[in-house]
Amino acid sequence: MDQKILFGLPLLFILAFASGTQAQKSQTVDKCYSCHRDIGSDEAQAYKNDIHFKAGVTCADCHGGDPTVEDQDAAMSPAKGYIGVPKASAIPQVCGKCHGPSKTELKEKFRLDDVMDDFKASVHGRALSESNDGPQCVSCHGIHNIVSIKDRRSPVYPTNVTKTCAKCHSNPNYMKKFNPGLPVDQYEKYLTSVHGKRNQSGDPKAATCVSCHSNHLIRAVKDPRSPVYPTNIPLTCSKCHSNKMYMAEYHIPTNQYDNYVQSVHGIALLKNSDLSAPACNSCHGNHGAVPPGAASVASVCGTCHQANADLFDKSVHKNAFAKAKLPGCVVCHSNHLVKPPSDKMIGFGSASVCGECHKDNSSDSAASTILVMKTTLDSLTNGQKDASALLAHAEQLGMDVSDASYSLRSVNQSLVESRVQVHAFAIAPVVSAAQPGLKIVADAQKSALGAINEYYFRRKGLGVATLVITLLVVLLYLKIKQIERKSRQ
Amino acid sequence: MNNESKLMRWFNKRYDLSPFEHFAKEKKVPDFKGSFWYYFGGVSLFLFIVQVVTGILLLMYYQPGAQTAYESVRFIVTKVEFGWLIRSIHSWSANLMILSVFIHMFSVYFTKAFRTPRELTWYSGFLLMSLTLVFGFSGYLLPWNTLSYFATKVGTEIVGVVPVVGIPLMEILRNGSDVTTATLTRFFGLHVAVLPAVFTVVLGIHLLFIQVQGISEPESWKDIPESKKNHIPFFPNFVLRDVLLWLIVLNVLAILAVYFPWELGHKADPFASAPAGIKPEWYFLFMFESLKFLPSKFLGLDGEVVGVMFFGLAGLLWFLIPLWDSRTPKGSRNKIINYVGIAVVLYIIILTTIGAR
Amino acid sequence: MNVSGNEKMSRRTFLDYLMGFGLLAWLGAVLYPIVEYLKVPKQTEAAPSSVVAGLTKDFKPNEGKVFRFGNEPAILIDTPDGKLKAFSAVCTHLQCTVQYRPDMEKIWCACHGGVYDLNGRNIAGPPPRPLQEYKVVVKGDDIIVSKS
Repeated sequence: MDQKILFGLPLLFILAFASGTQAQKSQTVDKCYSCHRDIGSDEAQAYKNDIHFKAGVTCADCHGGDPTVEDQDAAMSPAKGYIGVPKASAIPQVCGKCHGPSKTELKEKFRLDDVMDDFKASVHGRALSESNDGPQCVSCHGIHNIVSIKDRRSPVYPTNVTKTCAKCHSNPNYMKKFNPGLPVDQYEKYLTSVHGKRNQSGDPKAATCVSCHSNHLIRAVKDPRSPVYPTNIPLTCSKCHSNKMYMAEYHIPTNQYDNYVQSVHGIALLKNSDLSAPACNSCHGNHGAVPPGAASVASVCGTCHQANADLFDKSVHKNAFAKAKLPGCVVCHSNHLVKPPSDKMIGFGSASVCGECHKDNSSDSAASTILVMKTTLDSLTNGQKDASALLAHAEQLGMDVSDASYSLRSVNQSLVESRVQVHAFAIAPVVSAAQPGLKIVADAQKSALGAINEYYFRRKGLGVATLVITLLVVLLYLKIKQIERKSRQ
Repeated sequence: MNNESKLMRWFNKRYDLSPFEHFAKEKKVPDFKGSFWYYFGGVSLFLFIVQVVTGILLLMYYQPGAQTAYESVRFIVTKVEFGWLIRSIHSWSANLMILSVFIHMFSVYFTKAFRTPRELTWYSGFLLMSLTLVFGFSGYLLPWNTLSYFATKVGTEIVGVVPVVGIPLMEILRNGSDVTTATLTRFFGLHVAVLPAVFTVVLGIHLLFIQVQGISEPESWKDIPESKKNHIPFFPNFVLRDVLLWLIVLNVLAILAVYFPWELGHKADPFASAPAGIKPEWYFLFMFESLKFLPSKFLGLDGEVVGVMFFGLAGLLWFLIPLWDSRTPKGSRNKIINYVGIAVVLYIIILTTIGAR
Repeated sequence: MNVSGNEKMSRRTFLDYLMGFGLLAWLGAVLYPIVEYLKVPKQTEAAPSSVVAGLTKDFKPNEGKVFRFGNEPAILIDTPDGKLKAFSAVCTHLQCTVQYRPDMEKIWCACHGGVYDLNGRNIAGPPPRPLQEYKVVVKGDDIIVSKS
């Protein structure tokens, strides 16, 4: 703990160097520094190279006390504001003197940002407020030897920052104190990712922890304002992956985000805020992000589309695709631009995907299977449409067809099931899934027609009855006239 | 004719029918320009018969109870042959019967037919009208749909407003503190057993009074000689005219049932919140609407209490007309009676119209 | 005189005959629906009700039943620890009807293998939202389900 003293957060650039020489001069009159340097203290030795030393920040600026007095007791008296080694929880305040919201000469001079408030609002700030062990400025930036973040030696330089975060985040005993549920394998996974490998090979452009989680204002993943909250992930990834200039040297496409936002998944997640819809990380992994290999596509999609994946695994396409090194589901559904599937995808029409590989003639043994599957689905959809139109007509005539309407609902189930069964790429499963639906459709059509006939039967019946009654009324009228004429005679 | 007299002879041999024959021959109905109104008594009677017949038919399939009331009516309407017709006619006929009873009552009122010696006919008629309203109220709940459930809830609540006896009375009506299936059973018993029995007896008495006293002559005939009075024989002339009208009413019922089938609505859900715009049946609307217009406090009493007591009092005064009419100037153009009547008719029409909006 | 009298007579009898015929036709028009009404209907009794999902004695723990609730299917579940729960049986993914799987002790949709736990939460597969839960009240032997 004793080592953890002083200072944080250098956001200083060339300015610091420019004023370096002058600042160093002022440091020489600082009695704290000169005395501690003379007794050969490690802190003073290290501080010589610190960015703050060059900017003219004195020991007393952080530790308090009187740097003008030679006498040790007088200089380091609490009466003079000497605080010694600041408590961990007080460090953000100490650094925040310049890196906080209040205006100081140094803050103006070096155009420092207010990062103290950001830190306090972050998960780390919260952890610190709960425990003195919590992370603060020096946990990441170091003490007395702080260099510019642009400097390769900085612990927060891109190639170092992952290790810096891992100091705590890969330490289960430490993390337990704050968030026992949080995994501690992020760093390990990161090393397996494309980002991690590039980072290890010294590429500062590859994404690190802070690229996605941000730096001082790190929010919990479940906080909707976090850049890694499900609905924010696509945009976060796109910051780099949609940037043509940035990605140029890697020779990979930059249209994933544009495609994704148009896909079923993108619409579900971004437009309908359906948090169960997949974002980038759902398929690529997050800390261990890699493109899934062709062979594992089906199992990746299968994490959600289980039934379809099971059927696909048992189908003829499984081996055929593997042999041809075709990436499973993606072959028909595409990857980032997954469109809502439609029955038009089956068959040999313009929107069909079967036709990409199969031929619509007897030379291809699959042609008949494809056509039977298509006709089955079509007859079910058309039947459902016709039946509900008929029922609507009957209802409009005021007939009660709620029983048939209710049972027609389950046609949808049959339809969905037979669409799923298409992934077996065989006739029997599709037809047997469609069978109950076709029966319900037929029954519903029958009862709708029955109701419509009944409607006209009622009207006709009323016509007959009215005729009879009118006849009787007329006859009765004549009879009354007759009787009255007779009684008057 | 021959056959008829043969039949009569057969009966006459066994029973002496001559008093009846004599009665039928002698019975006359005054014939004047207001005699059209005489037919509404007959129409009410006919609609009652229709109600009895269709009601018995509905009873063949109807099952009271939380899980069966709505379902069985739905079953009648959708699964039983002509069930839709029977049910629709029963509902339409009920409404037409109430309308016809009202017309009959007001025609009697304005022709002053309730005057001595026919006070008892008026009292029994008033009783019949009240029974008809209770018939309507209790029958409305039986399909156990959302509208009827909440209308019954509101309707019985109004009973609870009456001071002192209100709450116990409401609980007796509801068979508990709330409208539940226990209420349904109670209303069912009332609708199919108690009311028909009582109604039939009172109706018999009502008709007997009319037969004994003959049909009331208009007030304007008081001062003209017998020879100038026009009569038509009750049998067969008036009866045949009655039948003619009944046939037309039957046809109207059939047309209404086919073209405007009575809706079943959704099943009542006692746990659901009341839908907006709950209204009682149209014949209670004027009272329901009046209660809405009352201030919440009136002479230190709850507005509703005042309203309910007002209608109770008004009903009592209406019932007792023969008593207080004797203290007003007599004559067909009795201004007090006519003004009161016109005011009541206008009041009912206006408030019903407002309520129906 | 005689001729005209006969004519009158015959016209009267004609009218009477016609009246008799009309009366018969009318009787037919009235009686036909009534007789039809009294015939045994195709389905002899009203269908079981919607709000009452069942009787307590018909349910064992770890069992589920789909019933009609208004115009939509709903599912009543006697959980393995003996609690009664009711949900809309309409899968939130593509509106299939879900079912109870005693082997999984979960609610399962056959269409895409969506899984809900016994609180109706979507826990696996494509369903985007939990199932709507209904209120269950036990009154005597009846299990009454209502939208709360």
